[in-house]
Amino acid sequence: MRQHLIELVLFSTYAELRAERARSYLGLIWWVLEPALMMGTFWLVFDVIMKSGGPGYLPSLLIGLTLWQWMKSCMTHGGYAIWSNLGLVRQVHLPPLVFPIVAMLSDTVKFFYIFALLVVILWIAGYPPNMAYLALPPLFVAVLLFAAGVGFVIAAVVPLLPDLRFVIEQVLTVVMFLSGVVFSLGNVPSPLREIMALNPVAVIMDASRGILMRGEWPNWVGLGKVTLISIAACLIGAAVVARLAPRYPKLAT
Amino acid sequence: MDTPDILVELRHVGVAFSAQRRLAGSRFWALEDVSLTLRRGERLGVIGRNGAGKSTLLRVIAGILAPDRGSVRRAPVSCQLLSLALGFTPHLSGRDNAVLSGLMLGLRRRDIVARLPAIREFSELGDFFEQPIATYSAGMTMRLAFSVAIQVEPDVLLIDEVLAVGDAEFQQKSGAALRARMAEGHTVVLVSHDEAQVARLCDRVLWVEHGKSVCEGPRDEVFAAYHRDLHLAGAAPVPSVDGVVA
Repeated sequence: MRQHLIELVLFSTYAELRAERARSYLGLIWWVLEPALMMGTFWLVFDVIMKSGGPGYLPSLLIGLTLWQWMKSCMTHGGYAIWSNLGLVRQVHLPPLVFPIVAMLSDTVKFFYIFALLVVILWIAGYPPNMAYLALPPLFVAVLLFAAGVGFVIAAVVPLLPDLRFVIEQVLTVVMFLSGVVFSLGNVPSPLREIMALNPVAVIMDASRGILMRGEWPNWVGLGKVTLISIAACLIGAAVVARLAPRYPKLAT
Repeated sequence: MDTPDILVELRHVGVAFSAQRRLAGSRFWALEDVSLTLRRGERLGVIGRNGAGKSTLLRVIAGILAPDRGSVRRAPVSCQLLSLALGFTPHLSGRDNAVLSGLMLGLRRRDIVARLPAIREFSELGDFFEQPIATYSAGMTMRLAFSVAIQVEPDVLLIDEVLAVGDAEFQQKSGAALRARMAEGHTVVLVSHDEAQVARLCDRVLWVEHGKSVCEGPRDEVFAAYHRDLHLAGAAPVPSVDGVVA
């Protein structure tokens, strides 16, 4: 049973990525082009027009947006996955968490393409790979767990309250601006800075910029706390999904 | 379970749906009080008028819907609804869709891969099997869908009115394949409003009316009671176009 579910998740992820590639003319190129366009927008506004960037702004922005895009797409795609698959939920007896996990895995595969490109760009810009890169796998695990935790909770309730989707998009935009994704928290005056630094997303941003730009090892205690909070969120999300699961097949799309 | 032969047992099962998507919306009971016993090797037909709750009942047996009242006991067996085109994705090839659909229907990947030649053969798709199904006609898609579904071999096969699909020729072929499958001694629950079909394929019949099981038993007894009731209810025979009473 468990092996069967693993096969189903892996093949569905492959199918999702393959179908997405086949849907558009540029296919794979969009995986990179779309975030690149977004990065260009922020660079134009904050660095070129408002001149609020300062030295090292562009690489810092690229890192922030690359990681944020990954987290956000896991949270939203994963979060809407049960709702958008209600047609299947009505026809077949499967654990509902299959759908968010598939969505998150395919976003993660896409992230790795973008991240590989990011590393090349950083290298060209004068930030070569360093020993601290060894800290990237645990950092990525923390990011994925955090996104999954939030995504599972969203996934559990969106089928019952689809209107939440409109709120979630706005909330995530606010979170992005409050977490130092597009600007460094170093520019924020104290004590606001210390309060904002408690945010798990801010911890992740800080750790990834430290690794990629300055060759610094992350703050393991902070990252550990993020991981623990994320695991708790995953468990809560999974429990809520399990609790609400009998109601999903009765819902209309 | 009292007897090892009993695969599924429903006792006074009721299933309620929300009438609207509101926090405190009213509910309606699609199933009110249905009891049935399914033994290994039985072919159970479920009859009843439109809206009697037949399809809901099938989804309860499949484990998709949990009962809101009453109890369902299921032996550790797989109960699978014969769903066509489950999980089909337009931009994937026929081959990939066959694997995906098979996995959703509960097959292991190696089993589907082993059956791919048979699926390709049965679906008569030829080289189209490797093409995205977005390029298929509706008939071709249904042929692929049926060819995948017929490969699934659950302990209990649940069928909801999909005995034949596609053009006339493929209808013959798919109907025959399904009848062969039923004749192999599998446990089957067949929902249909086509009485002749139920009479031909099933040995036990459950009659459901307004979400309640009216009676369950050997085919001929239940049909006799069903017809008596139709007659008493004053269901006037419907004259067909050329004046012959249908």
